[in-house]
Amino acid sequence: MGTRDDEYDYLFKVVLIGDSGVGKSNLLSRFTRNEFNLESKSTIGVEFATRSIQVDGKTIKAQIWDTAGQERYRAITSAYYRGAVGALLVYDIAKHLTYENVERWLKELRDHADQNIVIMLVGNKSDLRHLRSVPTDEARAFAERHSLSFIETSALDCTNVETAFHNILTEIYRIVSQRPMHDSPDEDSPPGNSGPIQISPTEPNSGSKSNCCKA
Amino acid sequence: MSETIQLDFAAKNKSIFSRNVPRLPGKASSSPRKEMIAASAHRNTPATSFDDFQESVSDAWDLGDDEFCIISDVKISKKMAQSTAASVINRHRTQSADQAIQNHQIPSITKNANRSFPGHPHPFLESAQSRKMNEDLQSGKMEKFNSVLNSANSTMKELEECSWHGIPPPVRAITWRLLSGYIPINLDKRASTLKRKREEYWNLVEQYYETRHEETHQDTFRQIHIDIPRMSPLIALFQQSIVQEMFERILYIWAMRHPASGYVQGINDLVTPFFVVFLQEVIPSDSDLDTHDVSKLSEEDRNSIEADSFWCLSKLLDGIQDNYTFAQPGIQNRVRQLKELIERVDVELHQHLVRHEVDYLQFSFRWMNNLLMRELPLLCTVRLWDTCLAQPHGFADFHLYTCAAFLLKWRNPLLRQTDFQGLMMMLQNLPTQSWSDEEIGEIVAEAYQLHYMFSNAPNHLQSSASKP
Repeated sequence: MGTRDDEYDYLFKVVLIGDSGVGKSNLLSRFTRNEFNLESKSTIGVEFATRSIQVDGKTIKAQIWDTAGQERYRAITSAYYRGAVGALLVYDIAKHLTYENVERWLKELRDHADQNIVIMLVGNKSDLRHLRSVPTDEARAFAERHSLSFIETSALDCTNVETAFHNILTEIYRIVSQRPMHDSPDEDSPPGNSGPIQISPTEPNSGSKSNCCKA
Repeated sequence: MSETIQLDFAAKNKSIFSRNVPRLPGKASSSPRKEMIAASAHRNTPATSFDDFQESVSDAWDLGDDEFCIISDVKISKKMAQSTAASVINRHRTQSADQAIQNHQIPSITKNANRSFPGHPHPFLESAQSRKMNEDLQSGKMEKFNSVLNSANSTMKELEECSWHGIPPPVRAITWRLLSGYIPINLDKRASTLKRKREEYWNLVEQYYETRHEETHQDTFRQIHIDIPRMSPLIALFQQSIVQEMFERILYIWAMRHPASGYVQGINDLVTPFFVVFLQEVIPSDSDLDTHDVSKLSEEDRNSIEADSFWCLSKLLDGIQDNYTFAQPGIQNRVRQLKELIERVDVELHQHLVRHEVDYLQFSFRWMNNLLMRELPLLCTVRLWDTCLAQPHGFADFHLYTCAAFLLKWRNPLLRQTDFQGLMMMLQNLPTQSWSDEEIGEIVAEAYQLHYMFSNAPNHLQSSASKP
């Protein structure tokens, strides 16, 4: 039984950002179409996809914008941060440079996104175990310092992709559902002026095993 | 070994989605026109195949579908999925680091010719091309071209006129060199210019290519290096490492010579039509372009293809540099003009898009940035470029009108979409897989009309732009 497109309780806009080639588009296609494509083309500008999930009996529709990673596109893509209530900031666990650039991406978000945006740091390509160059602990500590949630995923073997999107959407839902109700379900400016929302880091074990095609 | 595994993986994906695949928006099995006719025949039923696709997708993703294996009415054994996943993981585990990097970044040359993805049109339709060559012969088009190309008194205007409606493949390479402005129309100077420019390119390679690992340039080269393998993933030709190296040099040299923009993703796509056309020139007309082994060409031929591709790319980009400089003002301008034009010529479609909060930038940015290449099969792009090269400012102003004609082509299916999501999904995956020269001919004819009506009458656009 599918949920009809126009029936949802909440509509959350989420952006996928991070360096070129870290697997943003495959995370999106894995989550929305359960597809993975070793040969996927570079994203030009932005691409859009959507999927609904249930949290606490509510239908949450995620409208996800996948952005191009290359620097030259920032002027275009940053326009899409507006109204986003969540961001998945993706790096490649096998390419240290993509992790080093996370700081720059955080600055992008500070400059262009709403200050209350919920950010999840995502170390993708966790299947590349023997090529790992970013230790999990280091990234988790970084995330804690910056009040980001953290998870490692593999779009290729499905590990934690569901969990990552589920966690961030649930987090957003918790925040949004605590404020006074609005009539419009697609109210997209995040709540209040009470300063940044404190997000507790993801539980260590939620970042491990909920993979869908575990070997 | 790794190829087998990747094949497995592809096959697995395919079987999992066998239910959905025929309905994927980018996978129209019939021609778009047929689809439109079929769709209009069922005008009373709002459910189009695209709606079906959406529904089928949301079906598959009900609450708790944590494991794709349980999309169960598609008959796939969980065991098979697991074993395939295990073999993929195992591959990562057992191979040496270098190999794994290669496999991850450079997918095997395995032909996935039967697989296509939304937004990734099928690459070649060879049969259509050979049919076209026969038509060209019969219609006397070849004769006309031969006379224009080989006469000492020919003018560019003559060449443009006969090229506008499509260039016969046997003379396409030479005609493109001329139309690009890469070599002069003057018969006496062609050969010497060609020789000089080819030498000049290889001097540039010598001068610049060594710098690619230097600190100031390594970001540029890294980006090119990431993009090339995934550029035209479904075309075996572009998976040959010798071809990828040629592309890397072309793009790196161009980027070094154009620091104001540098390399921007998408420019890599723009090399492919030139490359294909210049390659076609030196291989037998009956040989399969897609699988042709470029390493078997003579070094001289390879060097010429690379140099010619570089110079023609440079000429093309000279006309649209502001598409790729900071904040990409050329694209932003043309997207705005596209919006104003559509509002002017098809207010119903425009209002439909506006009502559902579809921003033109959201879908037409890629149309401008990649000159529609991501939306069309490669040979259709080649045909489109015959016209763009024959049209003054073909890749700049005229392309705007081409985009408008392309959008108008889908007006009816778009008007049947009832929400933002349906519109965006459709606009990102327009079903052009089965397109041939014929559809391109219609698009450029429409573009010509629009261009004729509006390009010299900017007030037409301004007046609408100034409306509230």
